[in-house]
Amino acid sequence: MRSDMISSEHLATMVTALIVGFFARLVTIKEDYRQYPSYPNGYLIHLVTGFVAAALGAVAIPAIMTKNFVAVTFLTLAIQQFRDVRRAERDSLKDLENTEFTPRGDAYIDGIAKTFEARNYFALVVALVTGVAMQLSSHLAQWASVSIGAVVGLIVLFILKRFSKGKTVGDIADVKLGKVEVKDSELFVDGMFVTNQLGTDRARELFEKEGIAAVIVPREEHFRITLDHFGQRQAILFEATRAVGVKRYNFTRKDYEQGRVIVTLVPIVRSEKAFIEAIKRTPLLESTKKSHSVMKTNFWGEE
Amino acid sequence: MGKEATTKPPYQILAYVTLNRERVLGGNVLALLAANEEEQKQITQDIAKSLKAEVTQLKCGDYLVYRI
Repeated sequence: MRSDMISSEHLATMVTALIVGFFARLVTIKEDYRQYPSYPNGYLIHLVTGFVAAALGAVAIPAIMTKNFVAVTFLTLAIQQFRDVRRAERDSLKDLENTEFTPRGDAYIDGIAKTFEARNYFALVVALVTGVAMQLSSHLAQWASVSIGAVVGLIVLFILKRFSKGKTVGDIADVKLGKVEVKDSELFVDGMFVTNQLGTDRARELFEKEGIAAVIVPREEHFRITLDHFGQRQAILFEATRAVGVKRYNFTRKDYEQGRVIVTLVPIVRSEKAFIEAIKRTPLLESTKKSHSVMKTNFWGEE
Repeated sequence: MGKEATTKPPYQILAYVTLNRERVLGGNVLALLAANEEEQKQITQDIAKSLKAEVTQLKCGDYLVYRI
């Protein structure tokens, strides 16, 4: 009977790896505050899946050490499970598209859903590495083994966070307020035509008095490729409208001559700082990212 | 958002309000002839409000009421 029971050494490995893995999910969940459809339920769902991911990573090493090699195949189940997390998140965000001020867009939703999937892998990998480190240091005293496992797990978490950290619009472009001008039906920002949808006197008055505009100027010529991407502009507009609300009208416009991107709207709360900050902090979507150095690579070895 | 090559915004023209009798044409779209500028503005505004539509004033002075 006693031989069937798990040893205290393995129990310590599992519990430590579980705690460190769960901690990995807990700290990474905070970075997603802008991307949450609902705070309390969103947190609960992702903490529970994070806990499950950490548990799967935590039991892998004790399973191998007890020669239970078949049990390790459940890691493949975990991967399937996390893909379902991505799908569920994508479906959930797509269902909400019609209720937002402006749609997030498919590219942004895809990026968010991938992030959620990746964060579950954080929990799994951190728990797994913690377990490995504890096993390798099992000849030491248990407190030393636990400490080493926790430290190694946290280092891996730090590396993974650095690796997966994306850039934002503010990193590649300067964002400043633009001057809104209305001429008859037409709206101009910093002299650039945006739309001619201001047909009524009320619309013109509204935009002249309350309209707000931002001009995004890329710092390098090649950043235009990213900023001009439709999905990226949808994401920028979404974050801007979510920060200050939309009373009426929202537009984006590309300027092909100088590479500027205009975002303009009539906000509910007129906070220029929040408006600019929201645009600056909009993540650069994975699907729009281009590696400039790779584009320069000479694959064929020619001069 | 601006128009994109890959997206097809489902524009729908709802009404055309003009002061010029010659621009009142038959067809799917409601084309209205206003007596004066004041009436033209009022008709446009009423239609746009009731149908929650957008309005553009053309350079010729006519109003286009449409939905995106």
